[in-house]
Amino acid sequence: MTPASLLHRSEALNPAVFPRGAEPLEEVGTDTPADVAAAMAFALSRLTSAPQETRPVALVTTADWLAERGRPFAGGMRDWGLGSGRLIWVRARREGEALWALEEVLKSGAAAGGLAVAAAPPFVTTRRLEFAAREGGAVGILLRAGPAGDLSAARRRWRIAARPSGLDAWDAAAPGNARLRAELLRRRDGPPGAWDLERDDETGGFRVAAGLAGHGVDEGERQGRAVA
Amino acid sequence: MKANGKDAPSPDAPFALVERGGRGLTLHALNDAARSLGLHRGQSHADACAIAPHLASAPAEVERDLETLRRLALWAERFSPAVGVDTTLPAQEGLLLDMTGAAHLFGGEADLLKDLRRRLARAAIPARAAIADTPAGAWALARFSHDPETIAPPGHLREAIAGLPMEGLRLEPEALVLLKRFGLKQIGDLYGLPRAGLARRFRGVAGLRVVERLDQALGVADEPLDPVRPAPLYRAGIVFAEPVTHVEGVSWRLPALARALSQQLERDGRGVRRLALVGFRVDGRTTAIQASLSAPAAAPDHMLRLLREKGLEHLDLGFGIDALMLCARQAEPMSARQGEMAPEMGGEPQVAQPQALAALIDRLEARLGEGSVRRPQARESWIPERSEAWVQAAPEAPSQPPAGDDRPRPILLFDPPEPVETLAELPDGAPMRFTWRRAPRRVVKSQGPERLSHEWWRSAPGLANRPSRTRDYYRVEDDQGRRYWLFREGLYGREDADHRPSWWLHGVFA
Repeated sequence: MTPASLLHRSEALNPAVFPRGAEPLEEVGTDTPADVAAAMAFALSRLTSAPQETRPVALVTTADWLAERGRPFAGGMRDWGLGSGRLIWVRARREGEALWALEEVLKSGAAAGGLAVAAAPPFVTTRRLEFAAREGGAVGILLRAGPAGDLSAARRRWRIAARPSGLDAWDAAAPGNARLRAELLRRRDGPPGAWDLERDDETGGFRVAAGLAGHGVDEGERQGRAVA
Repeated sequence: MKANGKDAPSPDAPFALVERGGRGLTLHALNDAARSLGLHRGQSHADACAIAPHLASAPAEVERDLETLRRLALWAERFSPAVGVDTTLPAQEGLLLDMTGAAHLFGGEADLLKDLRRRLARAAIPARAAIADTPAGAWALARFSHDPETIAPPGHLREAIAGLPMEGLRLEPEALVLLKRFGLKQIGDLYGLPRAGLARRFRGVAGLRVVERLDQALGVADEPLDPVRPAPLYRAGIVFAEPVTHVEGVSWRLPALARALSQQLERDGRGVRRLALVGFRVDGRTTAIQASLSAPAAAPDHMLRLLREKGLEHLDLGFGIDALMLCARQAEPMSARQGEMAPEMGGEPQVAQPQALAALIDRLEARLGEGSVRRPQARESWIPERSEAWVQAAPEAPSQPPAGDDRPRPILLFDPPEPVETLAELPDGAPMRFTWRRAPRRVVKSQGPERLSHEWWRSAPGLANRPSRTRDYYRVEDDQGRRYWLFREGLYGREDADHRPSWWLHGVFA
């Protein structure tokens, strides 16, 4: 099975372009717990980035995280391109179990990807996760709370923050399309960057909201679509 | 036949278990020493103490005795898949094993009885045992034969039980008294009597009972055995020469068991859905681990991995186990798809995918616990927390009804909703500010209400255990760009006027 990253090698060559395809293992973190919904949506867009993928996607949660952050809502995840038929929710009690479960998911080859919530995954574990993802042709995401400065085998490390939403076409007082800022703190294949992303109703994913980010705007994206 | 446990005094001293009934304390069960003094079951404790002043007694724990017997029945499954607990007469309970066609596995009937009693004796359980053509015949012989091990040769049961006392027929005390009054003391005394007359002699049910019991004992009437649990469909077992006390010993023999079970399953084209590994302990108990599978499977490797994931160390080996059984408690036909096509033969790699997914789900559930892997299934309800059920995962996704509307829904849901304090411009408008988890938030954008009335046909209480009320949902965004799903429960001045409407946070949007 072709790793998802190979399909997108061409865009990785240009460091200014938002890397749409996912690496085998990526970390998605937030500075504050309040941004976890934005981070979750971003993670889902990474998990479903490979085209024509039909295998399910597993979300692994811990008991603590569920109590604090709420449970996954399939009705809402459907809006982000992850149909209910592809969603699997794995409830682990502790973080160690969650990381083990993610490794099993990734290496099984039965899932397109997996996400696990983790506060402090050990470096060795992240190495194992990366190997497992390559073996199973899957995308692994570690959803982390708080800033992460420790060692990790993840090829990309994102920091997500919610941004004021776009303008709703019919109701100026209503929240419009979701926006968030995705900062790529570290990547193996280029310099860090930051992008302001906006929800794309057509694809259920994100598109780069041109003109908002200081740098890293994807030229092709700007030509292709009008942003309200 | 009763196992009184280790707290029983020495067998020579008279001892009785007493129970409290309508007539005060009565004897429930006695040991041989007490019986030889002329005491009997049902006698009042006061009378018994008058006859035998040094009678020691303890309260009878009928429920616990029965529970112990049931546990012993599970242990006895090592001899036969169909083991029943016989509770026809109180204080005369016992085990019934259907050994039809199985005695040769234990070296014949005589060796079987010897082995059974030896193993029970090692667990400090004195026992009497008998083998006969009928359960009732074996019951009588086990209790009233002179020898603690009795075998009635096939077809000679009639002679074998003829000399036993009438109690061997499991009769009610009233019927026994009547029979004794007629001078009928042994079972054989009944053989020559006309059936019709026998039934007529005893009025009501008791007469029929005597004939029925006699028929059951002689095998004229059928008496089905009611096993403690359904016999497993497929099972493979190993008997150890020496008790195994370490998990390694179990682990080492497991592959052979899995292969044997797998062969049985494959022969019938079936796969196991519920797998159990049972160890039979030397102290007359069993220890087991069970694993459930999300889809039928018959591959020995899969079974082994599941059991290892469950943790063989959870087997409580005690002083050792002397037999091990791997059985399929539930089996289902394997679907044709399971015959996977190898990729080199041109098959799509996707063909093998449901199987890989099933294996994954099983492995996760074995380690994280049953029900820890779930998939969403839409339900007929517009109340958000009720609109989707997370059902136990199977390789095939649950059927999804077409999505009814495309109104935005949060990505994470709080279930139950969390209370918030709000400040609104208008009583039934969107909030301007709200405080959630002690942090104040200023609302800059809002959309709503989306009114969801409560489902009046359900009686379940709503929030805070009050009757369910109408909810008005608002999608709001604070000045930090975070989006929330708030709702106001209740309408001002209308529903349930005693309680003011309350605000809740139900979820967060990306």
